[in-house]
Amino acid sequence: QSENSSLLPSFSEEDREIDMEISIIASSFIDGEIGSWDLKTGKALLKFKPCASPAHGLTAVGDKFLAASQLKASGSSGSIFFWSWNKPQVEVRSFPKEPILALTANSEGTYIVGGGKSGEIYLWEVATGKLLKKWHGHFQSVTCLVFSGDDSLLVSGSGDGSVKVWSLIRLFDDLQRQKGSTHEHYFTEHTMSVTDIVIDYGGCNALIVSASEDRTCKVWSLAKGKLLRSIVFPSAINALALDPCGSVFYAGGRDSKIYIGAMNATSDHCTKVLGSISEESKAITCLAYCAEGNLLLSGSEDGKICVWDPKTRHPVRTFDHGKGPVSNIQVVRKTFVTNLNKTLSSWKRNGASLPPPLEKFEKPEEDGIVIVDPPPFSDVPVYSSYLSADLIDEQVRELQQQGSAATEIEMERLKLEYKKSLQMNDQWQKNYENLLQVVMELQNGVTN
Amino acid sequence: MVRPKAPAKKQQKKAIDFKKIKRKLGRKLPPPKNATNTEIKSKAIILPEQSVGAEKSGIATSKKGLTLKELLQQTSHHNPKVRKDALLGIKDLFKHYPAEMQSHKYAIIQKLRERVTDDDKLVRDAFYKLFEADVFPACIEDNLGPMVSLLMPYIFSAMADSSIDVRLMAFKFFHLVVKNYPPTFSLYAEKILENYTDIIQKNHFYVQDKSKLKVALSGLEHCLSLLPCDESDTESQKKGHLQNETLLAYEQDVAEESVRFAHVSGKLKEIVGVLINCFQDFIPLIRARGGLDEASFDCINHILCGVRYAIKFSNRMHIPRQAILDQETASMLLKKLLGSFPLNPENNLSGKVAEWYFILNSVLTEIFLEVSKWSQWSHLPTDLSNRCLEFIERTLLGKITRGNSKSTHEKTLLALLPSVPKLILRVDHDWRDNLLQAFTTAFNDCKPDSELKLACISTIRDLIIPNGDILYSSASDPTVVDYQSAWVKKLPSLLNQLGDKHPLSTQAILQLFLDLGRFGCLNASPTFEEEPTSEEEPTFEEGIGYFFNPYQGKGNVSGGSFASLPEEAQELALCFLFYFTIDSFSAPLLESIVSCCLYPQLEPAVLYRIVEILHTAYRAGYIQITDHFSFLVTLVARFKVVPEKGQLAMECNEHETSRDTFKALTNRVCSCLSEMGDGPLVLQILEKILLEQIILKPALDNGCAILRMICALDSKPTRLSEKSIATLCEFLPGYLIDIVKSIPEDKEKSSYLYMQTCLYYLVPCYFLFDRSSKLTEEVLKRMQSIVSENTKALESVQDRESGRNSLNLIQHTVSVVLLMHNDVKLRKIISSSKAEIDLILQNVVSFQSSGSTSLTVEAKHSMRIAGERLKIASNSLLA
Repeated sequence: QSENSSLLPSFSEEDREIDMEISIIASSFIDGEIGSWDLKTGKALLKFKPCASPAHGLTAVGDKFLAASQLKASGSSGSIFFWSWNKPQVEVRSFPKEPILALTANSEGTYIVGGGKSGEIYLWEVATGKLLKKWHGHFQSVTCLVFSGDDSLLVSGSGDGSVKVWSLIRLFDDLQRQKGSTHEHYFTEHTMSVTDIVIDYGGCNALIVSASEDRTCKVWSLAKGKLLRSIVFPSAINALALDPCGSVFYAGGRDSKIYIGAMNATSDHCTKVLGSISEESKAITCLAYCAEGNLLLSGSEDGKICVWDPKTRHPVRTFDHGKGPVSNIQVVRKTFVTNLNKTLSSWKRNGASLPPPLEKFEKPEEDGIVIVDPPPFSDVPVYSSYLSADLIDEQVRELQQQGSAATEIEMERLKLEYKKSLQMNDQWQKNYENLLQVVMELQNGVTN
Repeated sequence: MVRPKAPAKKQQKKAIDFKKIKRKLGRKLPPPKNATNTEIKSKAIILPEQSVGAEKSGIATSKKGLTLKELLQQTSHHNPKVRKDALLGIKDLFKHYPAEMQSHKYAIIQKLRERVTDDDKLVRDAFYKLFEADVFPACIEDNLGPMVSLLMPYIFSAMADSSIDVRLMAFKFFHLVVKNYPPTFSLYAEKILENYTDIIQKNHFYVQDKSKLKVALSGLEHCLSLLPCDESDTESQKKGHLQNETLLAYEQDVAEESVRFAHVSGKLKEIVGVLINCFQDFIPLIRARGGLDEASFDCINHILCGVRYAIKFSNRMHIPRQAILDQETASMLLKKLLGSFPLNPENNLSGKVAEWYFILNSVLTEIFLEVSKWSQWSHLPTDLSNRCLEFIERTLLGKITRGNSKSTHEKTLLALLPSVPKLILRVDHDWRDNLLQAFTTAFNDCKPDSELKLACISTIRDLIIPNGDILYSSASDPTVVDYQSAWVKKLPSLLNQLGDKHPLSTQAILQLFLDLGRFGCLNASPTFEEEPTSEEEPTFEEGIGYFFNPYQGKGNVSGGSFASLPEEAQELALCFLFYFTIDSFSAPLLESIVSCCLYPQLEPAVLYRIVEILHTAYRAGYIQITDHFSFLVTLVARFKVVPEKGQLAMECNEHETSRDTFKALTNRVCSCLSEMGDGPLVLQILEKILLEQIILKPALDNGCAILRMICALDSKPTRLSEKSIATLCEFLPGYLIDIVKSIPEDKEKSSYLYMQTCLYYLVPCYFLFDRSSKLTEEVLKRMQSIVSENTKALESVQDRESGRNSLNLIQHTVSVVLLMHNDVKLRKIISSSKAEIDLILQNVVSFQSSGSTSLTVEAKHSMRIAGERLKIASNSLLA
């Protein structure tokens, strides 16, 4: 216990009382470290070394640990490093088959998805490190990966300008794959590399906004599967952040300005500008939004991280990350469980033992093919248009209702035990009655 | 009153019995002088009024003086002639009073609709003509929906009339309604189809009565063409204006067109059957000697087109359970309809008739292609598919020429081309090669600016990138790849031939290029790479190079069209360029792009975009660092600012001058350079090239830009080498004097604009001075020597011209020193070299006092002022 607190000197007595600690992490293209700061106090926290991750290559895996893909590759294979929250050194190193650019994890931190330089997408299970699936996503490198709010869909953007939407459950459908269509949607309207994608809270029917080097941001509807808006900006857009109200988004331009784009834009061109970090500052490279306190974070080419108040459009605070351009910023929320008497946070405990490294190759298929959908009757509306976490939940519930052999055995055992205890109870009852009789007789005998 | 004649008569009567009175002939008795004139004269006869409601002035009337109300009443008169006249009267009324129509349209229609079932032919014709010429055209702007709903019940009842003529007129009239208001069909689809089935089937028109049959068939074809069967229209909707799309809205599925028609598929199936039977009736006529007559051709054409629409619709619905094309219909189609394919005219027929047969054959082929989509290729009857494929091949090759006008041939090809890619994927290898060859011929033969070429380009696109997704499955097949690369190789020269006159085709080609580049088709396959080709034929890369280079190419190739294309096409081309650089970036291409960038007519926005794109390509690792450096440096060094001297940015602020463009360009280049890595390191690489440019004494603006680049990379203290500093020492005095020379001084010297303009050129020097004191010293020394040399020259030389030159030079030098002194920061820097400034002052003062004869009064005065100002400056430096 004392060890832990010494490693994290910033946690004072006060920190223990709050439920949530919000910090930001940032990494760079060039050799450096992952910096982390407390957003409230602005205090610099632990630095994780060494790390040189590409844009969208840094992610917090649930609240368990930190993962980043590395630009520096050994030979032809790429590398992904894991850090636990309380140690600055790399704890686990994995070496996937090719350099990984984009990296992301679902909100619970059970899966990690990586996008390769060749356009392949890899899906790993965190707990075992197993490579569950590897598939050909794009013609060129995968530049960004985003999970939908309910974790049922994965949206990938690529250097070839395409955006694809994948259903995690359908990916495992071998029959669909044989037919050649694994993606849910395929958007090709961007003419150049996609740089960032954000998704709103609509789950599997969300709106997504994508930014591209072709100077446009496009708004797509997953429900309709088509383009809704295309907004032209004065420069190429490097990064996006979505306002929590969902009607505007922030776009970080290569001309060092942060633009405010309206989702429901009526004109083709964006006019509102949030501002630039300073006069001679460099291109904005990444953005993040922190809903707690309504703050917008921007990272720039010259290594500065700026915290903005989007309402007043003024910078609130700046962090200095270092010389190299900031490639990633992420807001991390760590939950403390205060009612535990030893103030151990859940992530700290989980962080104590990191999972095994990610595997390089897919395990050979088990026999038989997996079918998720009943394909021949794809005109059945439920299956063709409705794919969401709700469906998964429903199936889980059905499975639970059906029950498994193990629970049945357990039930049998319990029933047996119950019967035994009943018998035992009877036995004891009899004994008691017998004893009572004896006592009565004795008593009678004494009185007599 | 005297009555002279009355007594005469009495006398006559008496005389008849007794004697004949002799009367004198030739002379009449003159009237007595006192006779009274009894003649009655009147100007007009006025009768009392007869009609009660005839006060019609100001009310619209027809020629016969009848009002609309009366006319409408008369339309239901029992006499057919009156009814007809009433309809004609209404027509006449509308002609003179168009407003009457608008204000009473519902009343009119409510009354007139009864006439659909009129039993007199002339009345019906008049009725039809009235609606065709007047009623519908007048209402075309408003919503016809309510009117149509008023009409439809009567039309339906007329369709079921006992008289065949009435029924036919009902169909004819209905066709008119649909033409004017297409949604009519979707609203009443089921009932309409039912009626059509009925009339075509039950009242068996014998083939003799073709004109009647044609009425029904043409209407039916029109209706079927309204079925949502064309995929292209949804595509075009996709690319339409996006702003009208709602972001979040609840939309019912019913809104979709295909869903609206979902329930009619049963009826459609029925009608397809009826049409096929009808076609069978015509077969003897088709095979008759002498060929078809026009009426039967029209009928057959309507039948076939109708069938084609119905099948296309069912294919598009993708609902196998409700398809019209079940096994039974499909086999019927194949047997009865396509069994007689191809319809062959006899050899001795005239060209026109032969063309009819060709048109019918092409429609039959389309039907076959639609049917074949539905079943497996191998399940189709082999001889039929072979016949169809042969027809397609011969059409592509342009071999069926007899009697074909060019437009018919083109139209047929346009209809057939979209299905070629899928066909090629399905047929066996022999046919595939034949078709590929035929398609290549068709592609090569059509004119560059024709619609056909555009269709060919989209076919190529479908062949190489089907579905925009998977690569062509047999990409490994060398013959297919050969064909593909042959097409693609043709495209750049096609692009150059098109010039800037055909933006649509150009855009299509560029989009294709972009997609090929994006999906890696352009670079991955080795056959797309350069091959030794004949000398006239440029390689793919050269073609692209020509396209970007706006200047005259080799030989008589005119300049590339890139710079003059519309904005969207340019954007596409630049995006393509980005992907093209991945593997095929070469020095000639870079040259083309540079010359494009330096093209004066190029839009500044496009110039910036090119820099951005190339920088992105560099960052992605597609362009070598040396290439990128040379691109940026060449751009800055060669960009021509017009006008070169004189009015610098001071006056013209309204529109962007090329100077402003160059300033913005310099900024962009500097920020690109600073993003390329550690400033000093980049400087080390660039130092030599930049100073080489400086030695060449570039124009003021270019010189400034180069100095700015150096400053952007350099740091304090300077990292420039000794040699570079020496070169700069040579350059800077001349540069500084140039600034003063080119910027005309304002009357009020301190004006803001003037200072700003000067500052733009001076700032890089300030930075350099700040970073190297040695440089400051050297430059001032040189300026001092210029002054002293010129004063000497002035003293000795008598030539007026050179005298003035020297004088100007001295004045400019003084101005430079003063300018530098004006800047607060720089004052500190130059204070260390006060000695030099003092020397300049000394020179000026001594020269002034020497009283050389060569000076004019004015010159003396200006020298004095210069001296005074210098004195003040030098004094303040001490302080």
